[in-house]
Amino acid sequence: MSRYSRELSVLAVLAAMLLALGVWAPGFYRLQPLLSLATREAPVLVVACGMVLVVIARQIDISVGSQFSICSVAGGLLAAAGWPMVLVVPASVAIGAMLGMLNGALVAGLGLPSIVVTLAMLVTLRQGLNLFRQGEFVTLPDGVQWFGLSQSVGQALILAATGVLVIVLAAALRHVALGRQIYAVGSDAEASRLAGIRPRWVTFFAFAALGALTGLAAAMNVVQSPQVQPLSGNGMELKVIAAVVVGGVAISGGRGTLWGATAGLMVLACISPALVHLHIEAYWEKAIQGAVILLAAIAEGLRRRRSDA
Amino acid sequence: MKTPQTLERSHGWRKWLLRHETLLLVVLVLEWSLFYYFGTSVNRRGMTVGFGTLDRQFDILRHSCEIGLLALALTPVILAGGIDLSVASLLGLCAVIFGQLTHDLGLSLSIAAGATVALGALAGGLNATLIAGLRLPPLIVTLGTYSLFRGLAEALTRGAVTYSDFAPRFLSLGQDRWLALPVQAWVFFAVAAGMWMLVHRTVAGRSFRVIGFSPEGARFAGLPVTRNLAGVYVLAGAIAAIAALIYTARLGQAKADAAIGYELFAIAAVVLGGTSIFGGRGSVTGTLLGVAVIAVLKNGLATLPVVIRLNAAEEISGMLTGFLLLAALAGSTIPKLVSARRNRS
Amino acid sequence: MPLLLAFHAIRKSFGAVRALRGVDFELRAGEVHALLGENGAGKSTLIKVATGAHAPDEGSIAIAGETLSALTPALARRLGIACIYQQPALFPDLTVAENLALRLEPVRPFRRVDWRQRTRTAEALLSRVGAAIAPETEVKRLSMPEQQLVEIAGAVGAGARIVIMDEPTASLTRREQERLFGIVRSLRKDGVGVIYISHRLEEIFALADRVTVLRDGASAGTFPVGEMDEPGLIRSMVGREVSHLYPPSHSTPGTVALKIEGVGCKAGGISEVSLTLRAGEVVGLAGLVGAGRTQLARILFGVTPADAGSIEVGGRAVTIRSPQEAMQLGIAYVPEDRRRHGVVLEMPVAQNITLAARRRLFPGGWLRFGRERREAGEFVRRLAIKTASVDAPVGSLSGGNQQKVALARWLATNPRILILDEPTQGVDVGAKSEIHALIRQFAASGQAVLLISSDLPEILGMSDRIAVMRGGRLVEILPGGSTAPQVMSAALGQTLAKGKDAE
Repeated sequence: MSRYSRELSVLAVLAAMLLALGVWAPGFYRLQPLLSLATREAPVLVVACGMVLVVIARQIDISVGSQFSICSVAGGLLAAAGWPMVLVVPASVAIGAMLGMLNGALVAGLGLPSIVVTLAMLVTLRQGLNLFRQGEFVTLPDGVQWFGLSQSVGQALILAATGVLVIVLAAALRHVALGRQIYAVGSDAEASRLAGIRPRWVTFFAFAALGALTGLAAAMNVVQSPQVQPLSGNGMELKVIAAVVVGGVAISGGRGTLWGATAGLMVLACISPALVHLHIEAYWEKAIQGAVILLAAIAEGLRRRRSDA
Repeated sequence: MKTPQTLERSHGWRKWLLRHETLLLVVLVLEWSLFYYFGTSVNRRGMTVGFGTLDRQFDILRHSCEIGLLALALTPVILAGGIDLSVASLLGLCAVIFGQLTHDLGLSLSIAAGATVALGALAGGLNATLIAGLRLPPLIVTLGTYSLFRGLAEALTRGAVTYSDFAPRFLSLGQDRWLALPVQAWVFFAVAAGMWMLVHRTVAGRSFRVIGFSPEGARFAGLPVTRNLAGVYVLAGAIAAIAALIYTARLGQAKADAAIGYELFAIAAVVLGGTSIFGGRGSVTGTLLGVAVIAVLKNGLATLPVVIRLNAAEEISGMLTGFLLLAALAGSTIPKLVSARRNRS
Repeated sequence: MPLLLAFHAIRKSFGAVRALRGVDFELRAGEVHALLGENGAGKSTLIKVATGAHAPDEGSIAIAGETLSALTPALARRLGIACIYQQPALFPDLTVAENLALRLEPVRPFRRVDWRQRTRTAEALLSRVGAAIAPETEVKRLSMPEQQLVEIAGAVGAGARIVIMDEPTASLTRREQERLFGIVRSLRKDGVGVIYISHRLEEIFALADRVTVLRDGASAGTFPVGEMDEPGLIRSMVGREVSHLYPPSHSTPGTVALKIEGVGCKAGGISEVSLTLRAGEVVGLAGLVGAGRTQLARILFGVTPADAGSIEVGGRAVTIRSPQEAMQLGIAYVPEDRRRHGVVLEMPVAQNITLAARRRLFPGGWLRFGRERREAGEFVRRLAIKTASVDAPVGSLSGGNQQKVALARWLATNPRILILDEPTQGVDVGAKSEIHALIRQFAASGQAVLLISSDLPEILGMSDRIAVMRGGRLVEILPGGSTAPQVMSAALGQTLAKGKDAE
């Protein structure tokens, strides 16, 4: 169906990349490094799922990196204080949700433009965290890393949980009325209001959901190393937004899918190891990320031009 | 038909804007006084140290030049209804390019400086082409160039190289004084004066406002919308390059992470100064006042004893700037919401 | 049969403009009731009252026999009133099935969405209106007629008892029209009441049971279709007392200022338009909404350039590809949408007035405030613009005065060809006369005026010649002394024996 042409093109690009890697950098396809890569990127995918909701609703949130850092540190501190992971994870989710609701209140409640609001939040949250932690790591007690299980089991658990989450979220976006309302609001907020939907609450919910998912992703990140770095979330927002835009979610709202964003993230995640194997230095990564965002925006713009004409 | 009530309220809008700048001036004076009182002390040798010294004031002036230039660059962009998140990243890229031109290619200072400004304008031209030419949303384009420019700076320096050892003639741009004021202040004043004239005294400047209020209306008035919109982004790029030269001269170093995070301060200064984020309304004087408020805040905090003890000047100033930006945004929107609700009932 | 809808003595004014002056209207179940009237007669206001978008200042509304104290859009939908506009109000990025579902499903956020049910419902509704559209098509890929069908399907699905159709056949082919008629007839059979607005008299005769003619905000009568003929309908539409005096024309047309031949623009739906404008004359451009008058103006002003035909300005062949080029040729355009295109509401009067004449007033690109204030002050005086000062934002002025500012803006450019698009729409009577006098003055000074107006008396009173457009073409050029029925027939595409009185 041409309805999913954007998602299909991303899949095609992904397939081409994987193929190219297989031919020129077969070292990429070794199980252990691939598993590590996937587990490292799993939290980013979770955040990207939340970002999809916000972007479909025609907004943006560039403070997710700071939210991630705060939830990671908070989770780490709670774990270091002896809380069991069973409680730490929901706590992290709750903190993330509250941060998201703050954004939602400012954007949906006061009608402020989301780019500037979340820019202010990005800096305020990050500096607040720096003030609190002064860059200090949080050392985690034994038994937190990989939930106290072996690395392979821990990795499998995280990957499985992420997989389930994406499937459940995709199903919810498709089969729960609220999910469809997000599409409606992003497509035409005024028409939504006439149809009886409440666009402000839907927008608020999208930001809150993104926050909650960020908190969950932070918890997933905490269990992967013996320490929590406060800077762990820096730059995450760009990667997430790039993944979402590459994956076919339109910045102008109203369209996009979770599996498109997943494919987009995989494309981006492949870039870094691809650079390694192609002997391109890692310091090109940010420039390539920027170029990718621009190319995706141009592609979207050209597509829109063609369909309008 | 508009009733006399609306007439009053519309006049009230203009009065509000005028009052806005007065309010900002009051805030500036209060802020300055606060820092003077709490941040100045006499040390063991009997010399005054802290906020109240001339050196410190000149430091504030020096720092405000860079943020100020970026804020000036953003003012016409935001007036015209757009936004540019990439100015600080472009500053970093231009700094690195200048370093390479002078050190690796051995070009003379003036040629390198000219080339840097030209390249800055060219980079601004990338934004211009995508936003004004292809009509892509400024948000996502400048988010992309934000990453691209910083990324190119990192790639060009291989993530590690720093350029230092600049000729003293160049460093004097950032570190010396001329006619009692820091040299870069004169550059800043010149750009500020030029920007003021552009925005407030030229037809082009007025066209930015019209485009900001109503792009369609601008078209029907025969204004060259695409050309002028492209122009503000190119200009922003050139000004970012000038800011890069000053930044490098002041620090004596050109590094890829120059001016990281400055875009927040620049945008905050513009919005604090009364320019509406939606376009159309705003002034260069407001931006300058906003820059002053933020520069004094940033530097004044570093002189407060409690902040020195906590070693948290950067963090606190960042947080306060974020709060100020949100407060300024909310402050400009709440009256609109209140009047909208009153109209509906 | 019970009355689905009954309006009694409905009055509605917008500021000084009285859109409805005591209208009675009723709709029976199982009837197609046509609503006829020229532009500005009050049809859209009446419809907005019916859908709850406007509340009447006076009068009563009764739906299905129950008198309502107030009607809101939400209540109207619940009571089964649906309106199909010319511009469909659908979600462009969503599929047909989803659009229908959002219309029909209750708005509880945590309800499970059953796509199979949605598809089934959509298929059923679409087949009922005879639309061959796949439910999973995105709405933005549908043509306008197809989107219209989706809206009708939605109305049917929502169990609408009163369906209002506003010019539904404007952009349909013959075959699509027939299909639409079939739907209307089947709705009627189901006992639904249809209010059908159309300018096409043959449609009204083919489809409607009764027709109500609106004229100047009041009802000129409700007639069973069988008892009327075309001339009779046209007479009801245009007959009125002549109360307004128009300034007489003293000018003799001079050289040709503008000559267009075979001009067309595919995107704007214009084809084969040929017209000549002479210095000193006012040519009225008449036609119904959608006939292409504004599109023609946009072509001449370079907003949507022509892709066929030739244009000559002052005897020289030119291409007009942008408003700047048009302005350089001495063409000025006062647009129809005053608030969005004519003026910048947030900016002061003086700045609005000098905006287009910037090349003349501000050479070198530097603003000169003294000159600006003088120029603006001149125009405020000359056009009698009522404003607190030249620094007041235009948004604070009344509609008529805003229009004068828009006019001043373009007069300040000293154009050779002035195109006016609905210059007195929403303007009170006093300002109207002033604007008419100004137009006459302007023409008399040796310039050419193209006056687009839906106000028939205005066209008749102001024009030296009247060009009539219909369906994107220029169909007739009538001499200055023509009568209202002559112009209206040309606009409607009816033939009418010349010489028949208007009264």
